[in-house]
Amino acid sequence: MTVLLETRGVWQRFGGLVANSDVSISVGRGEIVGLIGPNGAGKSTLFNLIAGVLPPTQGSIIFDGEDVTKLPAAERCQRGVGRTFQVVKSFETMTVIDNVIVGALIRNTKMRIARQKAYEVLEFCGLAARADKLAADLVPSEKRRLEVARALATEPKLLLLDEVLTGLTPVEAQTGVELVRKVRATGVTVLMVEHVMEIVMPLVDRAIVLNLGKVLVEGKPTEVVRNPEVISAYLGDRHAVGA
Amino acid sequence: MTAETIIQSLASGLLMGLLYGLIAAGLALIFGLMDVVNFAHGEFLMIAMYVTFFLFAFFAIDPLLAAPLVAAALFVFGAVVYLLVVRFAMRAKANAGMVQIFSTFGLAIVMRGLAQFFFTPDYRSVTNSWVGGKTISIGGIYLPEPQLIGAMLSIAAFVALYFFINRTDFGRALEATREDAGAVALVGIDKNRVFALGWGLGAALVGLAGAIMAIFFYIYPDVGASFALIAYVTVALGGFGSVFGAFAGGIIVGLVEATTALILPPSLKSVGIYAVYLLVVFIRPRGLFGSM
Amino acid sequence: MDTHFAQRRRRDLIVAACLAAIAALVPLFVKDVYVENIMVLTLMYAALSQSWNILSGYCGQISLGHALYFGLGAYTTALLFTKFGVLPWFGMLAGGAISAVIAMALGYPCFRLRGHYFVIATIVIAEIALLLIQNWDWAGAALGIDIPVRGDSWLKFQFTRSKLPYFYFALALACIAWLVTWWLEDSKWGYWWRAVKDNPDAAESLGVVVFNSKMGAAAVSAFLVAVGGSFYAQFVSYIDPESVMGFQFSLLMALPAVLGGIGTLWGPVLGAVILIPLTELTRSFVGGSGRGVDLIVYGALIVAISLALPKGLVSVFSMLSGRKEAAR
Repeated sequence: MTVLLETRGVWQRFGGLVANSDVSISVGRGEIVGLIGPNGAGKSTLFNLIAGVLPPTQGSIIFDGEDVTKLPAAERCQRGVGRTFQVVKSFETMTVIDNVIVGALIRNTKMRIARQKAYEVLEFCGLAARADKLAADLVPSEKRRLEVARALATEPKLLLLDEVLTGLTPVEAQTGVELVRKVRATGVTVLMVEHVMEIVMPLVDRAIVLNLGKVLVEGKPTEVVRNPEVISAYLGDRHAVGA
Repeated sequence: MTAETIIQSLASGLLMGLLYGLIAAGLALIFGLMDVVNFAHGEFLMIAMYVTFFLFAFFAIDPLLAAPLVAAALFVFGAVVYLLVVRFAMRAKANAGMVQIFSTFGLAIVMRGLAQFFFTPDYRSVTNSWVGGKTISIGGIYLPEPQLIGAMLSIAAFVALYFFINRTDFGRALEATREDAGAVALVGIDKNRVFALGWGLGAALVGLAGAIMAIFFYIYPDVGASFALIAYVTVALGGFGSVFGAFAGGIIVGLVEATTALILPPSLKSVGIYAVYLLVVFIRPRGLFGSM
Repeated sequence: MDTHFAQRRRRDLIVAACLAAIAALVPLFVKDVYVENIMVLTLMYAALSQSWNILSGYCGQISLGHALYFGLGAYTTALLFTKFGVLPWFGMLAGGAISAVIAMALGYPCFRLRGHYFVIATIVIAEIALLLIQNWDWAGAALGIDIPVRGDSWLKFQFTRSKLPYFYFALALACIAWLVTWWLEDSKWGYWWRAVKDNPDAAESLGVVVFNSKMGAAAVSAFLVAVGGSFYAQFVSYIDPESVMGFQFSLLMALPAVLGGIGTLWGPVLGAVILIPLTELTRSFVGGSGRGVDLIVYGALIVAISLALPKGLVSVFSMLSGRKEAAR
């Protein structure tokens, strides 16, 4: 399996605060990798660094064989990095289909084709019935799926999912898990940040645990949850103990 | 150009700047409280100047004595404007920003129209007030008394505002509402009441400024427009949300205006203010003291 | 769903064509100069507001300094004609091009600003330009420019005997501004702009270069507004800084779109058709007293519409059609 994404010795400092220190991880093509860790572990920061929201203080990010460290978010999307936001950021005054068309436009310049493509993605994500609704009128779980649909419309090689399963009912979360599996089946690599380990562990091929800005351990989900260091990092968090 | 001229104009610039700060204080307070820019702020000033004028003309009350009365009148006026117009603008679910801009802007036009209707477009002025037209010499520098009193009033108002916001229950309620209106409702503070009082207070501050301005400035229905833009720039320069930024912003605007008038023809004196505003926000997009 | 969308776009186009045809026929029946004047202004404001709407409505960058581009168009045309004898048609294109370039040059630093900081920057930039022109002797300073009459001709775009040609040009301009918007609405730019307005971070994550999108909107918007300014200079044949570049103008340009429905295709047209005749009528019938009744009516109307219909007058139409569909 070849490597799709790699971070090499990435640091991120905000003033005196170190959010990521010397983080080196890699994600192989076709994998589903979970990025987990307690609150404040630096998951979201690392995520934003990979998506290109801000450049790292130090270190480099390699995507698809190229150094993308200095590229802005839009350029990374062009190269195949798609993302969702933890706090959903729908285009509220636009319809659901128009939201997705924005994503589809990066690969299709003809409007008719972009619209067609967007509709296919909506069907894939189970939102086709909602196509003409305003994004503002969707229920929260639908908004999460819209985030995924919009990112998929950009035809990413790597899909970054930021807590898409958190805060959903068990049934909704299960639908979400199936959607992620379907996405992978189409050949898209998935890196997902999750806080709820119970849901994400059966789904991922590999888990990377961050704690205090550093990589604590990485490995198969079953091994990771038994790791004493992980348990102590999550101490008091019933998900870790329960798993 | 002698050193004396420069010091003389900087001194008058400073006084005018403090007065600008006082004019802008209400705007900054209201924005800080509820993220609304009052596009009728200049017309509030205009109303305050007319109130001062009529108290003087009909009851022979000197503007200096009238100032507290004008402030009280404007307090009521501000609270009423909130309850009748702004309260509804806050409810808009779509285009909230535009609704706020244009409902207060429409109000400004109505106020100008009403002023023309009732007071006619004629220019009026307060003649023979206690301090009008008088100057005082300090170390060879001549300072106009009305502006000097205005500047002292401005400093006093900001000091009072500081204690009010930090030391009183109502001040704390304002601050809390500003931070989280939803949570405030949970602890039993009526959001509308706080906002109405905030608007009243903001208007009262501009009322004080208007009473002083009436001493040395012509009073006519469009007078607010000339000061409104300066007030917006003053607040933005200091940084929206920071009441004391408006104080610093006012001083800067006054000094820059005086300096520009020394270098460029008088008709271009505002160019300096605008250029400094652009310069500041291009470097600090949220003004000098605005939170990021 | 695809056909539904295409149907709506086609319906818009047909409605617009019908309205334009009706408007073109009106002068055959109405010969009144006063009414003609109101119609010209209505069409001009429809065009201006439609253009303003591209940057401020679709792309969400609220400009209250568009008088700058209007004035640039008017001044470029008038100066080129009076000083160098350049035909107004070239002046119009030159004014548009200059405005587009200046809009982008100003956008470069300004588009980093957000919210009220941006709005105030647009206001003060237009004010600086106004003050500079007022002090520019070669351009007539505060007195402005009187455009000399050289006889009626389309070549020189001057008509003294009948105002009718101006009417048809204003109609064409309104149609062009509408068509440009109609076309852009369903182009990648249209989608990018709306995405940028709603959520720039999300737009950026989907490959939209937010900065470039804003620049594009600013250039198109400024170009069209400047063409409107060129037209106005010819129409009134006398311009001065305050009357073409004053702050009031920026607001007058924004109002039809805001009251009609900001960020919508029909908002500016609807807003202009209702607002401009009303303004002119109140001004003539109750404004003559000089007692500000016209201002009171006008201001109250703005307050009432913006409070009652935050989405603008077009929302009345969509409510009606929504009810019709529900009744089916």
